[in-house]
Amino acid sequence: MSEHLPQTNYLDPEVLQKLGDLELVAREVVEGLRVGSHRSHLRGFSTEFAHHRQYAPGDAMRTIDWRVYGRTDRYYTKLYEAETNFDCHVLIDASSSMNYASGKVSKLEYAKFLAASMAYVVLKQRDSVGLSIFDSQVRAYLPPRSTMGIILQIDQLLRDIKPVPRSSIANQLHGIALMMKRRSFVVVISDLLSNVDDILAGLDHLRFDGHNVVVLHTLDPYELEFPFKGAWCFEGLEEEEPLTTQADRIREDYLNNFNAYLDALRSGCTASQVDYTTVDTSRPLDQVLNEFFFKRQATLNGAWS
Amino acid sequence: MTFLNPLLLLAGLGVALPILAHLLNRHRVQHTPWAAMQFINRNVRIRSRQMRLKDILLLLLRCLAVLLLGLALAKPVIKEAEGVAESLGERRAGVIIALDTSYSMQHSDGSTTRFERAIEQIRAIAEGIHAGDPVCLVLLGAEHKVVARNMAFDSERFEAILQAQQATPESLNLDSVPMLLKELADGIDAPQKEIYIVTDMQTQDWKIRPAWLTDALEELGKTAATVIVPVRGDSDNLAITNLELVSGVLRKGTIARYRATVRNCGTVAVSNVKVRGRVNQITVDTKTIPAIAAGASETVSLFIHFHNPGPVRITAELDMDSLPVDNVRRTVAIIRDRVSVLCVEGSSGRSSSRFITTALRARGNTAGQENFVLQSVPWVDLPTQDLSRFDVVILQDVPAITADQARGLEEYVRGGNGLIWFAGENTDAKKWNERSASNKGIRLLPAVIAEAVNTSDAAGVGRPLDPIMLDHSVCRPLLSLPEDLLSETRFRKLLQVKPSATSFTVLSLAGTAAPVVLEHSIGRGHVFMFTTSAGSQWNNMAVTPVFPMILQQMVTYLTAREFEKPRLVGDSLALSYVEQPDASEAVFDTPSAQMISVPVREHRNQYVALLDHAREAGFYLARVSVQAPGMPVAVNVETKESNVKCLTAAETMRSFEDTGISVALSEAELLDAVEQTRTGRSFWLFCMLTGLGLLVIESLLADRLFKRAASTNETTSASENS
Repeated sequence: MSEHLPQTNYLDPEVLQKLGDLELVAREVVEGLRVGSHRSHLRGFSTEFAHHRQYAPGDAMRTIDWRVYGRTDRYYTKLYEAETNFDCHVLIDASSSMNYASGKVSKLEYAKFLAASMAYVVLKQRDSVGLSIFDSQVRAYLPPRSTMGIILQIDQLLRDIKPVPRSSIANQLHGIALMMKRRSFVVVISDLLSNVDDILAGLDHLRFDGHNVVVLHTLDPYELEFPFKGAWCFEGLEEEEPLTTQADRIREDYLNNFNAYLDALRSGCTASQVDYTTVDTSRPLDQVLNEFFFKRQATLNGAWS
Repeated sequence: MTFLNPLLLLAGLGVALPILAHLLNRHRVQHTPWAAMQFINRNVRIRSRQMRLKDILLLLLRCLAVLLLGLALAKPVIKEAEGVAESLGERRAGVIIALDTSYSMQHSDGSTTRFERAIEQIRAIAEGIHAGDPVCLVLLGAEHKVVARNMAFDSERFEAILQAQQATPESLNLDSVPMLLKELADGIDAPQKEIYIVTDMQTQDWKIRPAWLTDALEELGKTAATVIVPVRGDSDNLAITNLELVSGVLRKGTIARYRATVRNCGTVAVSNVKVRGRVNQITVDTKTIPAIAAGASETVSLFIHFHNPGPVRITAELDMDSLPVDNVRRTVAIIRDRVSVLCVEGSSGRSSSRFITTALRARGNTAGQENFVLQSVPWVDLPTQDLSRFDVVILQDVPAITADQARGLEEYVRGGNGLIWFAGENTDAKKWNERSASNKGIRLLPAVIAEAVNTSDAAGVGRPLDPIMLDHSVCRPLLSLPEDLLSETRFRKLLQVKPSATSFTVLSLAGTAAPVVLEHSIGRGHVFMFTTSAGSQWNNMAVTPVFPMILQQMVTYLTAREFEKPRLVGDSLALSYVEQPDASEAVFDTPSAQMISVPVREHRNQYVALLDHAREAGFYLARVSVQAPGMPVAVNVETKESNVKCLTAAETMRSFEDTGISVALSEAELLDAVEQTRTGRSFWLFCMLTGLGLLVIESLLADRLFKRAASTNETTSASENS
């Protein structure tokens, strides 16, 4: 994290929720993120210049920077970070389970902010953003476009959709994969509360189609820590039977199961070369994004070297 | 069923706690929507189905356990348990053993003493006591001593305590026994309370009991199962019941006559009883009493020659018999080198003074003259006399003294000296009353003086003397005089007096009870006041044998020290000081050579060190400090305990008929009595163990049910995963 960023100015999800205007939210998050961050690694997924490298035999002649040659009499090649004509496709899980909120911001709300912020970043770089919303089926599909209006559409679409329980995530991902015409940068924002194999099957399909897949695993802090004590009745959001129990007595089992699930998911993603990040909905959005981009950049740099 | 601690039944209300916790937990279920059901479903689904049943089962176990623990705290008992209750309950009893340790228990029948047999009986009782049962052991004597109070019974420890006990030289104070035993019984927590009184059942104590004592014993029988365990023996016993100085002055070179009284407490006559008089452990006189009838007493005179000044330990001893402790009687004599007497003559003729001198030298032997230093002075010379040189001052017909003189004489007496005051024609009653008999701080004389009265009868003959205090050493020799000789002394005139509250009349006038001689104490000294004259004007006493006897006894009495008076076991021993001593503690050496330090306390302008309770018979040695020379004090046993006759078996049984108290005449009967009385059962241990067991079961069950639920879940999830 950059030391230039103010430490206390992270955007609280609850504050963002009060803003209402999603575009404003996205701008607040992303612009706030960029203020003073000259040395930030936030360069996104565009065709931006990365650095020079001394020419070596075998390098394409077109990559030589002639301006540098003019000044230095030496051959340097220009290296770029990403492909041009970049499409980003954001997949938002809007199933019932995403409605869970231990605080004031549900996972779906948080996902909405995340999606908008991502879209804003991409659009600012003059790239295209597409959007899909799914639960038990694909509820909406917006092909990639490069206008800010898509951010408003995200808000509108999510508001209109009445969440229903999700049966299988793989089917929806398969469906969306078929809809996407060209290879894209796919961001899946979901709590992924389903069978691990089913999830991985869906993600694999996207990978097989050549998409660059990023999973933002959005989870509530209560789901991560299970801090319940005493008698609790858990009423399933995915139409499960309500259950009454002594929460503290099952906490250990829960955490074991949950961590095993996370481990399986994480290792599955790594195996499928899917970029996986766990997102805690209690954390400030800009901080999450900052860390995500930093990690992303580090991964890409590592891959090049 | 009754409870030893019924108030602790309130602990049973603790049963509300698990119920309350259950209800609170049940009603405090919080609801929440939950997305990640897949991770808790398997645990909760099984548990939620079984939770109610399991919780109710666990709740019941907890409630039962709390109830049983509450019951255990309340210590439930069943007095007469039968059947299952008898087998479930513990046979516990709180046992109080009262052991008579009066010295009659030292009476031997040849091989064993009553005390040794009593110890054996207690061992038989102790065999039936369970370890941990509360036990009290109380030694009965003049002052009862509780050596074990509510002690958790441990056979080895109890045996050690038992072996450390021995009979004391005290007598039995039966009156306070029921109250003490009842107090001990009330303080004991047990389903069954038992009291065993192990005693020799002396006739004098047990045969004729006052009604209140019988009632108290009956009440005791209602409080606890009471068993009398008699350890009887025969009644043969000889005892010296008295040793007293009859006549003689305690001065160096004189011979005093002591009288020893021997009583035959047995039922058969005894002949040729030898009595030895010993001085400082050396036999100086031996007399034989030819025969003493059963139950009778005989006296014998022992003549003791005092060769040296200082304290002398005098004992009268019998040959060894079945009860040695009362075969010795002790007394102490403080022998003076000489006795100095100052005679202050108030009348001009000095005839009275001559009578007094003659009376004190009545023996007329050389030794008497040497050892009695007599000085006569006219009363006007009194201020010039150094009183500290004299042991006794005699004021004869002194008209009056000044207030300073009165104060000086009071100090003189308070320091342990003696004063003899004679009335006479010159006596100014008003001045004497003002200065020495008033209530203004100085009370030299034992009575307020009124006017002189004529006591002659119609024939002009005075009235004779009546020694009314028979035990007083002044009266004692007079009693041995023939009646006609005593009645020769006639008093024609007396001063009327009003005795003070602290004085008492020693001799009075026959027929009128008018005091002739009064006595009172000031500090460590005494004052004798004659209401008549020493001369022949008011009486003929001076010319009769009575006068020298009285005067010599008075001087001996006044020069005696408090240590000379024998004490009894249980009495307090006092060491008093004229002035504040340097040492803050006095020391008493006991006959068994133990040293007891006693603090010196101030009491009514006097400094006194008081040893509360003399527990041994023999000669104590009182010392003002560890380094100071000691003054012996004789301590004798109480003679009433010497009558060792016991109630017969029949008398004993009859004595306790209809009282609720049983009597165990033999060891077999004792064991039977223990068996029959100990029917109570305690259930506290049963309740405690069952309650704790239930808690363990509840804990194991809860743990097992939880684990089983978890394992079932794992199996289910494994099968689901596969």
